[in-house]
Amino acid sequence: MTVVIEAAGLVRHFGDIVAVDGVDLSIDEGEVFGFLGPNGAGKSTVVRMLTTLLHPTSGSARVGGCDIRTQPGDIRRMIGVALQDAAIDPLMTGNELIRLQAVLHGIPRSVIRRRGPELLERVGLTAAVDRRVGTYSGGMRRRLDLALSLVHEPQILFLDEPTTGLDPTSRQALWAEVRRLNTELGTTVFLTTQYLEEADQLAGRVAIIDEGRLVREGTPTELKATVGAPTLRVEVDQKHVATTRDVMTGFGEERPSREGRVAIGLSEGAAHVAAVVRALDSAGVTVVHLELDAPSLDDVFAHATGRRLEGSGDGQ
Amino acid sequence: MTGSGRSGVLTAGSQTWELTRRSVVGERRQLLSVMPGLIFPLLLAAVYTKQFSRVLEMPGFPEVDSFLDFILPACIVQAVSFGATAAGSELALDIENGFLDRLLASPVARWPILLGRLAGAAVVASVKTIVILALFLVFGAKVAGGPAAMLVLVAVAALLVLVIGGLAQVMAFRTGSQEAVGATFPLIFVSIFMSSAFFPTNLMSGWFKVVAENNPLSWIINPVRRLVINGWSSADVLQALGLPAALATVTISAAVMALNRRLATP
Repeated sequence: MTVVIEAAGLVRHFGDIVAVDGVDLSIDEGEVFGFLGPNGAGKSTVVRMLTTLLHPTSGSARVGGCDIRTQPGDIRRMIGVALQDAAIDPLMTGNELIRLQAVLHGIPRSVIRRRGPELLERVGLTAAVDRRVGTYSGGMRRRLDLALSLVHEPQILFLDEPTTGLDPTSRQALWAEVRRLNTELGTTVFLTTQYLEEADQLAGRVAIIDEGRLVREGTPTELKATVGAPTLRVEVDQKHVATTRDVMTGFGEERPSREGRVAIGLSEGAAHVAAVVRALDSAGVTVVHLELDAPSLDDVFAHATGRRLEGSGDGQ
Repeated sequence: MTGSGRSGVLTAGSQTWELTRRSVVGERRQLLSVMPGLIFPLLLAAVYTKQFSRVLEMPGFPEVDSFLDFILPACIVQAVSFGATAAGSELALDIENGFLDRLLASPVARWPILLGRLAGAAVVASVKTIVILALFLVFGAKVAGGPAAMLVLVAVAALLVLVIGGLAQVMAFRTGSQEAVGATFPLIFVSIFMSSAFFPTNLMSGWFKVVAENNPLSWIINPVRRLVINGWSSADVLQALGLPAALATVTISAAVMALNRRLATP
């Protein structure tokens, strides 16, 4: 695997404030990398440095093999960027913005005449292309923003909080498009979010940033495993409780539970639920009800920082 | 930075062109905001011409048939100053809403972004100048330098937009706020009054005369006025166009530097 985004000791100060305090990253080609953290954690500042919009105070980074300090032009040709707040000129129409973006990337008119409508159709804006962006809803702006960042078919896509403030339907649609870009075109995606569910749904690997530092990094499953094993609760007929306990304690240590139920910490993770069920079945136990309480990324965040993420209700 | 040699220049050219189109389209779609900048200088010119008709008899005042001839350059400069600071505010708006970041994250050289943002205002200023010229001619003003001199007037107006707009852009990068950029307008407004725009400097006295004589606006207005009153002169054309062109180069370069500093400074 080729590493397409790597950072070593990235630091950025704003006056006395240390926004980013030594961030190391290594992201492979074709990954969807989730950068998770609360407001003001330094996510956007890292994105701005990686997309050549801000010089680091110290440290270094390479994007697509090019140095962010010395080869910004080469990086800009390679990357697609959709920054926070869907920045688009309200006086222009969707079509005009697509064309402007294409010219900025030096794409021939003949190419964009074909690609522009395709892109706008894919993000569901075909009916609105000739309307001024000022009349678009928040979701439409985000979708146009995504289409704009894809005009030059970038290999690496940076999305800074792409679904903040979107309704659930628009969010789902945007997720679907990001997944499609990643699976069909192999686009590497660097995604920042403050939504646990978003990171969980989209990202193959997640880094949690808090107060300018990375506090955890790994696949969502790995991260959740660090918090502890998920709890498996099984409700059975009263006469089978003893047998059930015997079978289940073979898969993990017993945890307290109500009368008529047996609970264990599944030490091998959620993947072993099936094995437990099969074992109970062959022991002749009929399962009445089964519950698995998996730790969420919010638990991971809380474990790492001692605080809960805002809007963590989404992650449950 | 975008490719090399000829193709790089071509690319930068078409990028500037497309960014210019954007700012012209933007101006056209909010045309109403242009009107005060046209009406106010015209009203001022009408009032001054009515009130100051006897000033023409003062010894040392240029020989003109009507105060209109004298005040034409001032009226144009004033009309231009309105749109030019607005062009700076538009850049501040681009910074505030993040559109500038979109441009900066694409492989475009820095100067087409800044020049393109001002070009729309320059086009509007040219059109305003043509309207002002037409109205002045209807009301009896004469341009001694003829149609060629009128073209020079239009070009000076467009160049002045780049000078003042470049300055406003420096402010925009320094502060990133529309309000702060808007504050440059009174500065320009006052410096027009402290120039030879409304009165010949040879009839002034004291510190005001010193300020007006050393005001770069006077150095631009004087040759323009000579083209209107005295007739065509290559030296005046050179000064009228060369000075704002040079100043525009300075202010837009300063804006590019301010942009680069914005990326770097903690």
